[in-house]
Amino acid sequence: MNKLEILKLFMVEEKRSKSSLRQLSAVIWAQLKMMLAYKSWLIMDLLSTFASVVMYYFVGMQVDPVRLSQSGWGTSYLAFSLVGVATSNYLWACLTRLSHSIQHEIRGGTLETIAVTPINMFMFFIGLTARGYLVSLIYLVGVFTIGVYGLGAKLSFTPQSLLLFITLFVLMLVSNQALGLVAAGIIMVYKRGDPLVFILAAVNEFLAGVLYPLELLKRFPAVQLLSMLFPYTYALDGMRRVLILGASILDVNVLTDMVVLGVFSMVLVPLGLKMLGWGYNRIRREGTTSSY
Amino acid sequence: MKVEDIVKYMAENIPRGRVGAVEKAFAFIIRDFKIWWTYKLWITLDILSSLTFVATYYFVSMIITPQALIDAGYAADYLTFSVIGISLQHYVFTSVSSLSDAIREEQWNGTMETILSSTTSFRVFLLGESAFRFIIGSYFLLASLGMGVLLGIRLVLNPGSIIAASVLTILLVASHMIIGVLGAAMILKLKQGDPIVWAFSWLTQLFSGVLYPLGLLPDWLKWVGNAFPLTYSLDGLRRCLMNGEGFDSPMIMENTLKLMLFIMVVLPFSLWFFKKAYDSTRREGALGQY
Repeated sequence: MNKLEILKLFMVEEKRSKSSLRQLSAVIWAQLKMMLAYKSWLIMDLLSTFASVVMYYFVGMQVDPVRLSQSGWGTSYLAFSLVGVATSNYLWACLTRLSHSIQHEIRGGTLETIAVTPINMFMFFIGLTARGYLVSLIYLVGVFTIGVYGLGAKLSFTPQSLLLFITLFVLMLVSNQALGLVAAGIIMVYKRGDPLVFILAAVNEFLAGVLYPLELLKRFPAVQLLSMLFPYTYALDGMRRVLILGASILDVNVLTDMVVLGVFSMVLVPLGLKMLGWGYNRIRREGTTSSY
Repeated sequence: MKVEDIVKYMAENIPRGRVGAVEKAFAFIIRDFKIWWTYKLWITLDILSSLTFVATYYFVSMIITPQALIDAGYAADYLTFSVIGISLQHYVFTSVSSLSDAIREEQWNGTMETILSSTTSFRVFLLGESAFRFIIGSYFLLASLGMGVLLGIRLVLNPGSIIAASVLTILLVASHMIIGVLGAAMILKLKQGDPIVWAFSWLTQLFSGVLYPLGLLPDWLKWVGNAFPLTYSLDGLRRCLMNGEGFDSPMIMENTLKLMLFIMVVLPFSLWFFKKAYDSTRREGALGQY
């Protein structure tokens, strides 16, 4: 067999696309295939969605409705916790998924391989977050479905409130994903930084009041002040106002939450992109794309 | 250079003797501790994240009425109730799941086959790994309880309750080491998505009374909790630590006997199950696969 015949044997006949969108969809498709390869894991994750909602249903049975309503969030703890529990999974996905996936690629030795291909690396990084977003979406829909239709939580699901909820939700994703980009850039360079992002997400979840009304933080002004530094606090507040209290866009609190989230996004997105670029260029310069 | 010279050159002078199982298990504990200690920042942050759970339930307790606790026979203090529940559940869950994680890590690093091709048996490897996980887990347990004390949990301690709580803690660790072995067997076969660890995490949170007394569950669901040793451990330890009860209390005795029964029944099964999974994975040549 001569050289040309060997080359022909290995040659792929497919046309290579330079389109960034095609590259993105290919990365997402690869992520989905990997996700579906672990079917037992997927089934367990779906079942755990059900379990988490039921758990807060029983916790809610112990909550004093008078004390909850004094905080301004109605009398149903199930409805209150449902919004927090359903959206907090996205918080984790935004903050931790990209850095975790990049570390996974570095450890598997595949980041270096991908970096030498003509793929648009930005599209590759976006595609890496797809798995976390998809799992979180299943979780979000599952939690709301079980909570509202299975356990009777009273949430306002009118077209207006849904539109407003989606707007706040997108702002939440953008601002938190920007923080995730910052984290990914740092972790690419300093390697074992996963716990740092993990603690950021855990503290963020705690300070945003996923399971308790933020009004209770008034006793601790320093902690309350700290909670105001995270975009998720405003997103959760706005989403709860819309879904629990049926607030419209004319509500001052909802408007304030949207403006603050917009400001967070405008500041954090350029910073996140810059940090991700910085991290990626640095590991390429130092030749550490495959060291961990 | 002759072959004999090369062999002589490469040979270690350390005399090889038979090393006992306990010594080997201890060596695994030391090895894992050394690796663990290199990630000091990781340790600090992990403790901090577990403390956020305690802090969260400090605030949740502010809107909770203790009537359900009184009905279940506990002191009317939800903060203490939830902190004991979360700390112990977190303790056993991390200990059980990290055993499966340890196996995944060895597979991932390609060291699993290296260890098992030596004269070290898998049982000794498991004993060392699980002992280390529970020792490290205790560190987090104490941190959570310490945080709880700072936030105002009330523990009723007397000689009787301390003795009973100590015995129940030993039974808690022993019974969950067995579950860890079952999880390890599953991970050898399935590689990811260990159903034992998953079932343990979510079913115990739901049915073992971690965040609410079991009296709140409908009758047809209460029986599920009976399958988990955490249910008896939590009830027993809460009665000891919240009410100051000791072995003179029939409920403490009942929980202790149930835990002992669980260990006696499930231990032989888990060892048999593990052997089956281990042998099958070896036959398939998939021990190092991930």
